[in-house]
Amino acid sequence: MLEGYPKEIMSKDGTPILLRPLALEDEQRLSEFFARIPEDERWFLRDNVADPAVMHLWIKNVDYDRILPLVAVRQEDNTIIANVRLHRRPSECLHHIAHLRIMVDPAYRHQRLGTWMLLDTIRLAMSVGIEKLVAEFIVGVEDAAMNAAHKLDFFEEAVLKDYVKDRQGRYRDLIIMVKTLHRDWSDF
Amino acid sequence: MSHETSQGTISASDLNAELIETPKGSIKIYPRCGPGSFSGLKLDVGIGNFSHYSSIIQKLEVFEKVASAKDGRVALALKEENSVVGYLACWYPDGAERWSKLGELMYEMGAVEVSRNFRHVNVAQKMISLILADDFFEDKIAYMNGFSWHWDLDGSGLNMAEYRKMMMHLLKGHGFQEYYTNEPNIALREENIFMARIGSRVSAEQQQRFRNLRFGIVDRD
Repeated sequence: MLEGYPKEIMSKDGTPILLRPLALEDEQRLSEFFARIPEDERWFLRDNVADPAVMHLWIKNVDYDRILPLVAVRQEDNTIIANVRLHRRPSECLHHIAHLRIMVDPAYRHQRLGTWMLLDTIRLAMSVGIEKLVAEFIVGVEDAAMNAAHKLDFFEEAVLKDYVKDRQGRYRDLIIMVKTLHRDWSDF
Repeated sequence: MSHETSQGTISASDLNAELIETPKGSIKIYPRCGPGSFSGLKLDVGIGNFSHYSSIIQKLEVFEKVASAKDGRVALALKEENSVVGYLACWYPDGAERWSKLGELMYEMGAVEVSRNFRHVNVAQKMISLILADDFFEDKIAYMNGFSWHWDLDGSGLNMAEYRKMMMHLLKGHGFQEYYTNEPNIALREENIFMARIGSRVSAEQQQRFRNLRFGIVDRD
């Protein structure tokens, strides 16, 4: 399932980067990565990843049948600079669907890194038989990621108005985007 | 070096030809057919135009052209000595293609096909294996573009994801691996795939240039 990794990519500025599955020994590196994500963005994560105990438990208990976590690391020193997770539901009726969540280190944004990770996730999803990919984005916070997803044919399926609250207590819209992984060409 | 079969002429590498026994009869694989080898041959009816699929090569003259070009290679799988049931054609990339920027380092496995009537009997596997046995490939980065618009989904009964997997599996067994690239034709569809095999004598510096070129960076010599 996760064969073929690591995969070499290059950021827009020519930095050599590797995409690979998250490993147990990445715990410290992943903590450092999340520490570099602005608090205003970390706020929207479901787990408190800033807490080392939470991180330890999370990474130790990753169930690869349900979550496929990938990271982008700088080739020169293995620093994690982006993270994407593909979540699958165990129930048969939802097994063809996966949810993805992506985060990129602020210092590496606008370098096409997120786009490469999205593309890699799409190919990974394809290889494990996923038919639909779902991504949620918070308007005004994750606009760049939303734009990248749109360019990879994710389409807006729903807007949950005033659905989440930011750190300042303001309501924000949550956009649900879906990409269908087509199984063949149309006959048109 | 050429000799006459009962129906046509096959030349040069006959000595390296291999006969494989399949449930569909004996098939002889010729790893390198030189110019002048193709008269008297015919394409099996499973190679051609179908409702959702057209073969990349549909005329024997194309084989002649490939075999006549510098370092061009054509491997053929023949049934009953003159019926082409599979082919693999290789060439240097065209000057207009990105990969030509590395001169003769890059070498394209340009077209591989097995007739719809002779699939699943390891013909492609054998053609690739025999062609790669040539020491020539140890100085090259052999690559193959997998463009989904060329895939015979109807004939294979596979969907795009399955076809992609099948192609990866086929080539991985011969030392190829998937490489990411922003080459526009590959990038056009997410199911497209670019696979390459780096020859054992390709230097670290050449590999670095290949890596850069995959992302559109052209190094000077």
